[in-house]
Amino acid sequence: MADVTRRFSPRRVRVGWALSIAVALGIVGFAGTAQWNGSIERQQFTTSAQQVLAGQVVALEDEQKTLRDQLGTAEKQVQQFQTESAGSQTALAQLNKQLAAARLAAGLTKVTGPGVVIEIADSKVQVPAGENPANYIVLVDDLHDIVTALWASGAEAIAINGERLVSTSSIYGVGASILVNTAFLAPPFRVEAIGPDGLLDRFLGNQAYLGRVAHRIDAFGLEFATQSQGDLRLPAFVGNTRFRWAVPLEGS
Amino acid sequence: MGGRVAQISLTAVVLLLGLLLVLQLRSQARPTEISSLSAQDLSTLIETLSDRNRQLRAAVADAREQLREYRVAESQGQSALGVSGEDLRRITAFGGRGAVQGQGIVVTVDGQLDAIAVNDLLNELRNAGAEAIAVDAVRITARSVCVQAPLTLQIDGTMIGKQFMIRAVGDPNGLLAALQRPGGIISQLQLFVSATIDVQQSAQVTIPASHLDLAPRIAKPAA
Repeated sequence: MADVTRRFSPRRVRVGWALSIAVALGIVGFAGTAQWNGSIERQQFTTSAQQVLAGQVVALEDEQKTLRDQLGTAEKQVQQFQTESAGSQTALAQLNKQLAAARLAAGLTKVTGPGVVIEIADSKVQVPAGENPANYIVLVDDLHDIVTALWASGAEAIAINGERLVSTSSIYGVGASILVNTAFLAPPFRVEAIGPDGLLDRFLGNQAYLGRVAHRIDAFGLEFATQSQGDLRLPAFVGNTRFRWAVPLEGS
Repeated sequence: MGGRVAQISLTAVVLLLGLLLVLQLRSQARPTEISSLSAQDLSTLIETLSDRNRQLRAAVADAREQLREYRVAESQGQSALGVSGEDLRRITAFGGRGAVQGQGIVVTVDGQLDAIAVNDLLNELRNAGAEAIAVDAVRITARSVCVQAPLTLQIDGTMIGKQFMIRAVGDPNGLLAALQRPGGIISQLQLFVSATIDVQQSAQVTIPASHLDLAPRIAKPAA
């Protein structure tokens, strides 16, 4: 009983509160300073012309998000029409089964299964004076090589930062930034792939494609990690699947 | 009383701390800041995003038109078979299991390209908006990659010789310009490889269906 009284004496409680507040204020100060300095640093790189252009990019990204939401909603409604009609006629039920299989094969369906996760991020190494800073960041070719090695190793479905890859997908570099499908992605890049047993071993053994990126990881310290996972979930592709120039041939 | 004041103060401090940490984490989430890109890169990005948004707008309009067709069929008591059948053809062709035809370009390669160069060419065509691509008779799907086999290149198990043709359906002007632009893929390849690469526009390019069964065996539809 005497111990309890000593432990919770008013003086000790006050000191405890004071210490807690002091620590919390210290952290607030640190975070506030970091935030303030970060903002200043980013502003310093920006001219007014760049600010205008950057504003346009942000506006286009916002518009893209809205368009993708609208497309996702419309596609869902189309599928709903197709599914709801299925009960009435055998022919429609058969057609809907074929549609579901075609969507799955084309990457237009969310999928789940075992696979691997590859993560790659910019180097945390301080760029030495006189060296090219581009050596220390993830470049579009790194992602190309990782994705190519995964497909060549038997992957059945791949997504990069949630962007599912389909037949028309491109991985496109603009300066140091990377676009996958229509989305502007930033590091760290998380490449998820579903595929058969041994996918990770085959991927890591695929030196024909991983040679370039392995060299950059070793030489410049790009962050790189791999992991097998028993149950991955990959999103469906949300984007344009409608042809402007191609006409599907009858009976193919 | 003192305890209550301290509690309120601490709550306020913790709230502020949370806010600042969120701001800090959000600001670190995009190390490749848009505002730190060069004006030239930003212009390219604007052009690319504008083009892709145009495609998305067209896709939204098409999907809504399809919905309208379903609604009309429903209101007239007609079967949705026709609309669904067309959708099946489109999706099958998009995935690569259906043949397509249309305007585009034909790239004729003669020489020593390695697998990485062929994959780079295919990626460049996709960047430029190709809707369907074939290398000789092999339809390029999401999973198709060119690999170096012991004696030759292979795509989807089919050998590709030193002379081969890449056919792509899409905007012929856009595809041609993307491949032939100064500093583009062809001028880069010609610095490193001994090959001639000729590009011609074509009013009618036919792209065959993939010979592979593209149904995934491991990946299952998720709820």
